[in-house]
Amino acid sequence: MKRRIYGTLVVLALAGAACGGGDDEGDGAETAEATAEATAEATDDAATAEATDTAATAEATGEGLTIALGSEPTSLDPHTVDDGGERAINDNIYETLLARDENGDLIPGLAADLPTQVDATTWEFTLREGVTFHDGTPFNADAVVASVDRIVRLVAETKTQNDGFFGSLTGATKVDDVTVQITTAEQDGVLPARMYWLKITAPGTESSDDLSEAPNGTGPFKFVERVTGSNIDLAANADYWGGAPSIGSVRFEFAEESATRLAGLSSGKYDLITNLAPQDTGQAPQVLTAQGQEHPNFILDVDEGITSDPNVRLALNLAVDKDAIVETLFGGFAVVDAGQHLSPSILGHNPDLTPFPYDPDEAKRLIEEAGVAGETIQLVGQAGRWLKDKELIEATASYWQEAGLNVQVESLEFGAYLDVLFDRENRADAIFVSSSNDILDPDRQLSTYYQAGGIGSSNSDQALSDLIDQGRQELDAAARDAIYQEAVKIAYDGAYFVWTVNNEDVYGASERLVWTPRVDSKLLVKDMSLS
Amino acid sequence: MATFLVRRLLQGVIVVVAAAIFVFVATRAVGDPVDFILPLSASEEQRENLRVELGFDRPMSEQFVDYAGDVARLDFGESTYLNDDALTVVFDYLPKTLQLVGFGMLISLVTSVPLGVLASRKPGGRLDKILTTASLTGLSMPQFFLGQVLVAVFITRLTWFDPGPGPWHKNLVLPAICMALPAVGRLAMTVRSAMIEELNSQYVKVARAKGMPARRVSGVHALRNAGIPFVTLYGWELIRALAGYTVVVETVFAWPGLGFVLIQGIKERDFYLVQASVFVVAVLVVVISIVIDLVYKALDPRVQLS
Repeated sequence: MKRRIYGTLVVLALAGAACGGGDDEGDGAETAEATAEATAEATDDAATAEATDTAATAEATGEGLTIALGSEPTSLDPHTVDDGGERAINDNIYETLLARDENGDLIPGLAADLPTQVDATTWEFTLREGVTFHDGTPFNADAVVASVDRIVRLVAETKTQNDGFFGSLTGATKVDDVTVQITTAEQDGVLPARMYWLKITAPGTESSDDLSEAPNGTGPFKFVERVTGSNIDLAANADYWGGAPSIGSVRFEFAEESATRLAGLSSGKYDLITNLAPQDTGQAPQVLTAQGQEHPNFILDVDEGITSDPNVRLALNLAVDKDAIVETLFGGFAVVDAGQHLSPSILGHNPDLTPFPYDPDEAKRLIEEAGVAGETIQLVGQAGRWLKDKELIEATASYWQEAGLNVQVESLEFGAYLDVLFDRENRADAIFVSSSNDILDPDRQLSTYYQAGGIGSSNSDQALSDLIDQGRQELDAAARDAIYQEAVKIAYDGAYFVWTVNNEDVYGASERLVWTPRVDSKLLVKDMSLS
Repeated sequence: MATFLVRRLLQGVIVVVAAAIFVFVATRAVGDPVDFILPLSASEEQRENLRVELGFDRPMSEQFVDYAGDVARLDFGESTYLNDDALTVVFDYLPKTLQLVGFGMLISLVTSVPLGVLASRKPGGRLDKILTTASLTGLSMPQFFLGQVLVAVFITRLTWFDPGPGPWHKNLVLPAICMALPAVGRLAMTVRSAMIEELNSQYVKVARAKGMPARRVSGVHALRNAGIPFVTLYGWELIRALAGYTVVVETVFAWPGLGFVLIQGIKERDFYLVQASVFVVAVLVVVISIVIDLVYKALDPRVQLS
């Protein structure tokens, strides 16, 4: 009788759970099925009979690995979203006309060579031959024209977040099967870098608004399946023109919390995790790093207020102990910023600039000399968006306080913070921002933060602005380099920002993973192997 | 019975409509998602264009009329974060949440009842003290903390389990325990006090006086009556788990359910995803509460459903 009542309760509870559709059994089965399904799907599809071969070969030749990303791709369309999760996946499926080597220099990708200029607004690319898309379609000039036409249309119809990258493109023309000309609205020195960013899709895709369902590229990995929220599986492309990858298959999973990713690495589920927190590096079986593009800094109002005095701006730089920040906040996984937003891997990086030293006495002296000791400086920041942002803002505020200023920190919610960052009328004295550069072209950061009128810039320096315009239009890479070096030196000499550190990209890896992270942060599985 | 169901369903509709209105107001109160969709370097013009395209430049009243019409047709729009139909996204992620809640609530059921009964045997006794303390510890531990402790000990150190999606014995057990623990504490305490009350009531004394074995008295008569407050609280826990705990637990364990994606949606101000999620969860809550009432009736025939 007791058993019966207890049984009744259990049944009722189950009913409660089931009315929500709870199904514990399904769970285990579901994941187990994933792989089986993947194979089955490949077999089902007549058009990809060859995919079955690949999967089979892959299983025979290369082991699989699992990578945990911090966020799920918001789409698998290669052109519509600007999203690190999407890139982590699609960088393995799709390719671009140009690629970058380990130093960040542009090299041919799907193009056979670097482009040549036909006239000021026309660039000609010669294409690699013998490349095919995963569905068997040959790669040729039609594919390039389709990709360029698609992005031009998506930008025009505001259906892409990537207009900042591709807004200058106007179209592409096929010269012959392996030659294509790409045109820009104005003289555009950034074009080669843009072609490192534009993923090439198959002919016929130009009219499509959404390619997320069936990614089809020329890259070393083929799309197998996506289980929303759970995982995305890719399999090696045995026919890859650059040679079949050593990894047979790769699964991507998503875990927002750094501690959760680390836990999965420790338990052996993951072989590679992104954005390993500095405090967790001691626990990872293997830590891999690359000097990345992230430069947390403070934008100073050069034109008005307390920071309009160049000596005060210099003092704010001298007051901050960057070495201490590198060690204590970032656990050594950063280098002191050499007074510029450009990492050494980017064109325009000025190797002659050295970090402002830590000189608290001189800082204090300058503040007093400027007659602003004890005055209030407003520091606007945002907590939680970037690595250790809150701690970095607090540390800097206390250094400035020590230098004799009254620092008023405003830590805002992201939307409110953006309102301050974008406010063209009233620039805050100091705004914290972590500047990054995905495309590895200096124009991106300089036109945003250095150029007068740029969305995050707080100066009205016309000479600097002219240089940035000039750099954008210059077509010769060496000449561009010189122009940008001069531009960053102007901002350095005038201390337009307070620079702190240049973060390293930190990855946690299993013992067996062999890989060197890249300066452009791309997770190219073809470069990975298992020992 | 029929009148009861009709009335409860009507009430349910009101609840869902109220939730839909609330979520509209709450999301609009924080601004619009344009800044989150576009990269930092987008120009003001691009921002304005997108704002117009998404309709966030129009008066709130107009937006609301459109929204009401869309909701009535179960059209929740396109998720701006995941670039897919918002309702489809919700149904993609919901099964994992239901698994987690179902398993977690099963754990809390099969542990809290025996614990509560054991503790009620000798109120103030050693076993009671231990169980009461343990329950209080469980229910007073915030889940984000408990979750991280479980991750650090059982996944990172002992490597018995994995984070993320996967087979239930490797991936679901731990988040389900994390989900269940606070509820176990509260439920066990309820069973305990209800049992103590029942065991002191007249009918139990009569049963004992008649010579009925203690085991049978507490197991059959008292437990059945103690089940009534238990079911009320259990339903409440089920609703809290579904509508609240999942967000924390799924994030800590990277279990890809609705809470896991919803937190991203909120961060990125994906109004459409948030609206669709709240709507679906509101419907589930209504359904669960009706089921709880029916269970209540089954346990206690004296309850009048009309």
